[in-house]
Amino acid sequence: MTSPLFDVQNVTLRFGGVVSLNNVSLHQNRGEILAVIGPNGAGKTSLFNSLTGVYQPQEGSITFNGANGPLSVIGKKPHRVNAAGVARTFQASRMFSAMTAFENVKIGAESHKGLGVMGAMLRGPATRRHERESDERSWSLLRFVGLEQHANTLSASLNYGARRRLEIARGLATNPSVLLLDEPAAGTNPAEKIELTTLIRRVRDEMGVSILLIEHDMKLVMSLAERLYVLNFGSVIAEGTPDEIRANPAVIEAYLGSSDAGTEQGAH
Amino acid sequence: MKFFQSPAAKRWGSLIALYAVVTVMTGPPGNQSSPTLGFTSSFSETVSFFGLFPAPRGLFFAGLFASVIGFIWLLRWSQTLKIDRFRREYSVALSELYQGVAQRRAARGGFYLVALGVAIVLPHLVTDPFWQQAMVSQIAIYVLLAIGLNVVVGFAGLLDLGFVAFYAIGAYTTAWITGALPAAAPFHIHLNPFWAIPIAIVFVMISGVLLGLPTLRLRGDYLAIVTLGFGEIVTIFLNNLYKITGGSTGSNQIPHFSVHLGPLKYVWGLDPVPYYYLTLAFVVVFLFAFSALEHSRVGRSWVAIREDEIAAESVGINPLKYKVIAFAIGAASAGFAGVITGGQSLFINPTTFTLSFSINILVLVIFGGMGSIIGVVIGSLIIQTLSMYLIHAQPAGFQNSDLYIYLGALLIAMMIFRPEGIWPSKRRRREIQFVEAGVEPDQRTDETRLNGESA
Repeated sequence: MTSPLFDVQNVTLRFGGVVSLNNVSLHQNRGEILAVIGPNGAGKTSLFNSLTGVYQPQEGSITFNGANGPLSVIGKKPHRVNAAGVARTFQASRMFSAMTAFENVKIGAESHKGLGVMGAMLRGPATRRHERESDERSWSLLRFVGLEQHANTLSASLNYGARRRLEIARGLATNPSVLLLDEPAAGTNPAEKIELTTLIRRVRDEMGVSILLIEHDMKLVMSLAERLYVLNFGSVIAEGTPDEIRANPAVIEAYLGSSDAGTEQGAH
Repeated sequence: MKFFQSPAAKRWGSLIALYAVVTVMTGPPGNQSSPTLGFTSSFSETVSFFGLFPAPRGLFFAGLFASVIGFIWLLRWSQTLKIDRFRREYSVALSELYQGVAQRRAARGGFYLVALGVAIVLPHLVTDPFWQQAMVSQIAIYVLLAIGLNVVVGFAGLLDLGFVAFYAIGAYTTAWITGALPAAAPFHIHLNPFWAIPIAIVFVMISGVLLGLPTLRLRGDYLAIVTLGFGEIVTIFLNNLYKITGGSTGSNQIPHFSVHLGPLKYVWGLDPVPYYYLTLAFVVVFLFAFSALEHSRVGRSWVAIREDEIAAESVGINPLKYKVIAFAIGAASAGFAGVITGGQSLFINPTTFTLSFSINILVLVIFGGMGSIIGVVIGSLIIQTLSMYLIHAQPAGFQNSDLYIYLGALLIAMMIFRPEGIWPSKRRRREIQFVEAGVEPDQRTDETRLNGESA
């Protein structure tokens, strides 16, 4: 039995007196499309930030078993975590606005190549070869997400759905084992949602990259995820397949029990 | 909205205020019997315009301001077409802007060759000794410093107010290894200043890394204050370590650069022209290196960090590493400039290496256009030539202490009408336009701020 890709044990994250994650344990298997759902403020994005090294939880352990062996994520900087094989997108997409779509992907494609300041100044053969490789990889990824005709468009000029796809391409360019998607469907229209669902599945099936997903859109989550965790008030309250989750009374309680659950859902 | 609340009215109002302040501050002082004389004669005193025709100072300065604004307007007008298209349709592809890259590259190459040709023949056209000296110590050296600071401020987006420290370290290293300091020279031999180049570059890069590693975790204003402190610390050391640096009297005589390679013998002497060519050669080398760097992975990583550090980290860029690299590279070119200054000016002392020197270099970068190498070169040429003209020709009752009043006024006018500099980089201009159009390049969420506090 191989070890899980992500192994999160008893993680607690506090900001002053506010407990954002409370004794959270979960794991992701290799090649799995895993989703984390929960009401607003449940700690989903905090979990993502802990998994990628942006936040440093005070207790617990996070182990990532990437291609280069296990990595203890807590205490590592985000770029180290990314180098180990964890790529991510952001809730409010964070593009490099004054760069073109192509340049955005290229940044990801070349970030883990050797440093080479001198090489960059002299433009030696190794630098030029790296450049060519990054260019080819960026083009193929732009084609993969269907943005090759927008390669020279400024990323700030792209519409929301295209920006989401570009962010996925940029993440994939860093050659990850797992891609963390923070509400990829937020702000997209129904047609774009369908495209996005297909794309996420293709990322797993064709590239062999596992997917960890936060999403509010229940229809999308239930059709895409193979397994789900439900977070509420920073704790895991349920785990299971989509069918199990739908029937779980604790989940129904968390989503429908509180009086403002309806308005929360309406907001997304 | 009342008319005086409109942005245009505010702009022109502040310009008129600026005009009045500059005219009064640079004007003649009053005296005890008529204390208002300083104010009135600032406007009414007759001065000669480039030695051509006499006019009251008030009118003269109005004309000066009008021509500066006219120049800036001309620059704006020449780009109106492009910017208008950008504003109207920035939601469509800009791919057409990428067309014709090959032709434009050829045209640019020709332009650079012509510029280099002009730079090579210039010392034979300008034979005034003042200007020949100024071309080395006040223009070429400043271009070298400005393109170095541009790497730090323009490419990596780090505000460095202590840049002079690296320049000082370069100059003092030259004095040290040539045996011109009270401190004993290394290996007890007095070396040719050429040997100072590798040693000084290693020294400044080490000090750049040492300064950078702890401080580059800071952002924006905090970093500026720390670098300001670093610059001051170096100056104070130079002033107070009598036994090592010679204190406020500075160094003994530093020998000139010289080459002794078999049959080839050459000594750079008191004539500034050979130094001009030496500096020009280094400027060209640095221009090539920095321009390759800008369009390399390193340059793109700097842009990514500048625009959104969180996103840059998430794609595997180590911000601290790239910031330290920028610091070290910028420092290297300042160290270089220091070595040439050491060899050329014969004596060095701490009065050169002050905060106002750092600010002066920063002004060149901001005026030319942060992040644009060609802009920074043009900006340095314009400002330094103007400054030298003012000091040399002393028009309109100019005094040397007035120089920074004029530079400050020029910078304020630039910030009002053309904040991106006279020849900005395409990317920097876009960033500024995004901010003006309300598209924040860095969409900071609450989480980011929380992270900043917890990290």
